[in-house]
Amino acid sequence: MAERTAFLAQMVEINTSTVSFGERLGNMVHLLARHLKVDLALYFGLDKNKEALSLQISSKAPVPPHLKLEFPWGRGTVGEAAQTRSNIQVDRRQPGVAEANAPLEKIHPAFHTLAAFPVADDNFLYGVLLLVHKSERHFTAAERQKVRLSTLMLAGTLRQALMQEEAKKRIAELSVLFEVGKALSATVELDDLLERIVTTTAKVINARGAALQIIDRVSGETRVSSKYGKVPGVLVCPPISETAPEARTLPEPPYIQGQAPNAEGVLHYHLAVPLTFKGQLSGTLCVFDKIAATGQFGPFDPENRQLLFTMAGLIVSALDNALTYQQVENLAERNERMVRHLTALQEISWAMLSTVQEDRLLDILLQGIVLENGLGFDRALLLTVDETTRTLQGIKGALRPPASPTSPILAQALAMPLALELSLADWQVPVRADQGALAQAVLQRRPQLLRQPPKDPGIPPSWQAAFDAQEFFVVPLMVKDRATGLIVVDNQTSARPLEPEPLHALQMLATQAALVLENAHLYSTIDANNRELMLIRERMLESDRLAALSSLASGMAHEIRNPLVSIGGFARRIEKMVEQNSPLRGYVEVIKEEVTRLEKLLREILDFTGENLSYFGDHDLDQLIEDTLLLVQRDLDAGNIKVEKHLAVLPRLHCDDRQIKQVFYNLFQNARQAMPHGGTLTIRTQPVEKEDGIYAAASVSDTGGGIPMEVLHNIFNPFFSTKDYGTGLGLSIAQRIVARHYGQIEVKNELGYGVTFVVTLPIAKYCLVKDAGEKASLASAVNVPSGGRR
Amino acid sequence: MKKILVADDEMAIRLLYSEELKEEGYEVYVAANGQEALEVVDKIPLDLVILDIKMPEMDGIEALRQIKEKRPDLPVLLSTAYGEYKQDFATWASDEYLVKSSDLDDLKAAVRRHLRE
Repeated sequence: MAERTAFLAQMVEINTSTVSFGERLGNMVHLLARHLKVDLALYFGLDKNKEALSLQISSKAPVPPHLKLEFPWGRGTVGEAAQTRSNIQVDRRQPGVAEANAPLEKIHPAFHTLAAFPVADDNFLYGVLLLVHKSERHFTAAERQKVRLSTLMLAGTLRQALMQEEAKKRIAELSVLFEVGKALSATVELDDLLERIVTTTAKVINARGAALQIIDRVSGETRVSSKYGKVPGVLVCPPISETAPEARTLPEPPYIQGQAPNAEGVLHYHLAVPLTFKGQLSGTLCVFDKIAATGQFGPFDPENRQLLFTMAGLIVSALDNALTYQQVENLAERNERMVRHLTALQEISWAMLSTVQEDRLLDILLQGIVLENGLGFDRALLLTVDETTRTLQGIKGALRPPASPTSPILAQALAMPLALELSLADWQVPVRADQGALAQAVLQRRPQLLRQPPKDPGIPPSWQAAFDAQEFFVVPLMVKDRATGLIVVDNQTSARPLEPEPLHALQMLATQAALVLENAHLYSTIDANNRELMLIRERMLESDRLAALSSLASGMAHEIRNPLVSIGGFARRIEKMVEQNSPLRGYVEVIKEEVTRLEKLLREILDFTGENLSYFGDHDLDQLIEDTLLLVQRDLDAGNIKVEKHLAVLPRLHCDDRQIKQVFYNLFQNARQAMPHGGTLTIRTQPVEKEDGIYAAASVSDTGGGIPMEVLHNIFNPFFSTKDYGTGLGLSIAQRIVARHYGQIEVKNELGYGVTFVVTLPIAKYCLVKDAGEKASLASAVNVPSGGRR
Repeated sequence: MKKILVADDEMAIRLLYSEELKEEGYEVYVAANGQEALEVVDKIPLDLVILDIKMPEMDGIEALRQIKEKRPDLPVLLSTAYGEYKQDFATWASDEYLVKSSDLDDLKAAVRRHLRE
């Protein structure tokens, strides 16, 4: 009894000791064998699948790992005891016992008695306790009681061990899941997440290294997204993609586990599991070199594998989240940018609709492109295509003004003048294929993104230095199918890349700008045409009035001419008939002379009314003046009048030479008559630039004391004369001729000294050079009298 | 004696011209319009015709055309109060275009020239 108590006490002591479960079980089995004085006490544990029982504990010595001693369920005494859940005792002499238990000979070649006791509690069979002895052996009731006690203790300890192991595993798994979950939910930044995945995986599995490979959805290539710790130079992560499809039929997800040499030939252990995302393989998760408790590297066990699968599942969903989040974020960001640009576009459009002035439009356009709250480019340049010369002509450019907190809203900013304006007047590029990228953009009529073009022939030398931007974008301004100009943008100052959204917005803006600019151009053309029409109308009104006067005068003149011819003719006949000294002769003389005077007046009136034809041609003004001077030279000499000439070399005038000569003839005659006591006639010619072109100016000055103020306003009126002789038509005729040539005649009166008449006549050629459009209109205007009369 | 026809609707002019030309030694016929002038041309072997342009019934231009049809060799001078048709006289195939003047020296010189005197 005392001995039984002692045995019990020892058993309890072992069971409550702090050593490991394995040791405890060993000690228990050893104690039992010693007490019962049997050769061996062995514990066979039932495997998970309940298919076999394998030797786990021996009372003699620890079971060597290489020793594999097991009995299938129901086979051998051990298997039988497990199957029947009853104690069985046999000895070698019984038939079949030796054969059925032959494996035992490995550890006890001469066994005789075998007694098997199931180790179980109420609902679970853990294994079988087998007592082995070399001779016949009977167990007393007390001994049986000890064995019974021992199996209960063993069962209890095993249950404890199992529970603890289970708990440990649960805790480990939970903590891993917690760790992984914590890591994965800590961030939605994809890069950060990938980093955390490999780090956590390696730590949880206690691996020396880990790597995550993701298959690029576009290219299909596998790339290492992130790695941690020691990863072999040559990644042995296997191409799971090939095994993946059939993997689904396997009870366990596919994996690859093994050993491979690294670059230095050192063996590495690896374990890789696939990442399947929505049924598709999206990558692999690999770990390398398990670090054992001893610090040695070793292979991975099934538990690691299980954990890696769990991780893979978590990773896939986290990746999914992160990818979705990233996509949503990208979309949101893109939308925001789009909305901002569209709003800016709308503002710019509104601003452009507010004006038809080309200059103002250009400012708004450039401003909208460079302003921070507009499209926000660093620099914008505008060039237009001159269709007549096929040249790209720089117009102007703008730089982005520095952003400030007080920056006004876009609509207000657009209304302001350009803050940083660039002049591109010296920028001219022929539109030819060999003239660089800008000319090409015009020819090809589509936008182009250009990477730093060194020494582009389309960029003037003075601009080469300023054109060191990494890339710049060229958008043609298209009207119908014709490029009317170019917008060039870059981010030279900030060296930011050119983003697709603002470029897209710029293209939309360019489409609208092209139309608005074209409209403005048409408007200004119409405006100019209108003004010209107004001018022509005024001139026509003027000529209408003169024409009315002309037709009246001409009708009268013709009616008067016939009677005058008769009167004068007969007077001459009478003159021939009367005696030389008859008083009648004097009367006839008067009639004859008066008629002659009337006939002269008649000729002048008919000249004035434009009866005479005009012959327009290109003539040298100086030569016309010289020719006219010849006509009056004798009169001037006779009147003791000195002539001073200051004649400049002028381009030829398109004019009616006879009419122009008439003008100067009249002016010279007037000057002569203003200086009855002699004086100086000064003639001066020079070019004069006016708003609409270049004119030839000829001035005729006398030293006749000037024109009294009270008559000055009348001098150009027909039939007005301060003289007792003459028709009073001289200046009127001169003015009318000059007006017909689209020139002007002005009078500068210096009372007490003399008068200067200044005749200015347009030089069509020069107006031509200055402005092609103006030239055409002026030239045709000059042609009106010659072509339009008759 | 050279035969000259003066056609003018103004009696005073007809008188003046015929007096002056007779004095120069020509045989002068007169007509008051183009129609009359053509009749004279048909009847008389004229050496020269002086035509006014503006005349009733048939003007000088039409008379000139018909005279030149009948007798292309006959010199015809246009004498008129209008200066503005001068540029057209060549197309009308007249031999001279004279603007009327109280001084008849120009007219007489032209007559002499065309009669090759």
